Amino acid sequence: MGSKATNGKSLVGSCLAVPLMNLTVFPLILLWTALGIFLFPVGFVIWKIITRWDADRIMRQFVWIYGRGWLLIMAPFVRFKRVGVAAGKFKPPCILVVNHFSFFDTYCMAMLPFSDAVFAIRAWPFKMFWYAPFMHLAGYLNVENMEWRKISETTDNIISKGGALLFFPEGHRSRNRQLQRFYSGAFKLAIETGARVVPLCLNGTDELLPPGRWWLRPARVTLKALDPVDPKNFTGDGAHRVMCKVVREMMARSLGEMTTEICSHSPVPIAADGCQHPVLPEGREFPTL
Amino acid sequence: MTEMEIIEQINTSLAEEFELNREVLKPEALILDDLELDSLDIVDMVVVLENTFQFKIREEEALREIRTLGDIHNFVLNKSTEIVN
Repeated sequence: MGSKATNGKSLVGSCLAVPLMNLTVFPLILLWTALGIFLFPVGFVIWKIITRWDADRIMRQFVWIYGRGWLLIMAPFVRFKRVGVAAGKFKPPCILVVNHFSFFDTYCMAMLPFSDAVFAIRAWPFKMFWYAPFMHLAGYLNVENMEWRKISETTDNIISKGGALLFFPEGHRSRNRQLQRFYSGAFKLAIETGARVVPLCLNGTDELLPPGRWWLRPARVTLKALDPVDPKNFTGDGAHRVMCKVVREMMARSLGEMTTEICSHSPVPIAADGCQHPVLPEGREFPTL
Repeated sequence: MTEMEIIEQINTSLAEEFELNREVLKPEALILDDLELDSLDIVDMVVVLENTFQFKIREEEALREIRTLGDIHNFVLNKSTEIVN
């Protein structure tokens, strides 16, 4: 428990941290994005010559590197932590399902130990013209506009090549910090292909940038991988729906525990006002990624 | 079963299966926009209704005309009447 003086100092630190974060992070992200866009063609050609990888795989590698840059930019203000996300814990082929609290959740996927994950997302992210060409090149799936047969064939292809597919099964960001209902598509694909489902719980990005807010706030962001779920354990007509409910239940429980853990470490209750935020993260855990 | 009981049964099955809030289950609610069900959910919904009411409806042409929750109520009510007669 911190003394009153300690808490007071933390509050001052937080009040300064919020404007400092917003004044530095946004321009740096813009600069990093612009650099990425302009340098990508050269980088792509060099990577292609060296590795001979397919274009979509190279693009996914660059998206992952872009995400790592984002993590670095955020690191002075955000304490990133990974739990159970070591390279050996789970390996593709698999289907990753992640909860969705913030616009920045996709960027946090750079905390994964591998880059070759195809995002299966709704139509609206493809409307961001500065990202859309790269998303198309990376082979990302627009699950809102694609026919199920095409999604199923593409997934089968990805999984048979040992790749990973990543879903946000809630479909859109939660506006009340609660896990929403899950769409069952990811689980139907898991049943069809036999690929294991790895539930990923992402906590803290709602503190960083929740829906409806345009300014950032320091936060602790934790990505926790739960035990993979084997689709073979689910059979019958509604197997995918049962699997969907089981995985959602696992994630809801884990997210509840993660939130309790974070709150128990906070010397000041978390409030909507930026100046009442708990202590500014003291160290950088990003280099341990 | 009375009409009200059938409607209640439909709403309960859908709320449980798709984790829908009971407040959104109004007859005028659009299935895609208001209930936010996707195409896969609609396929699953047919299975849920078949299991709940013990009849086959997946080949029914009238299914294609369904847009709202009220349409589902009417569809099941008509089907139930058909079976009774």
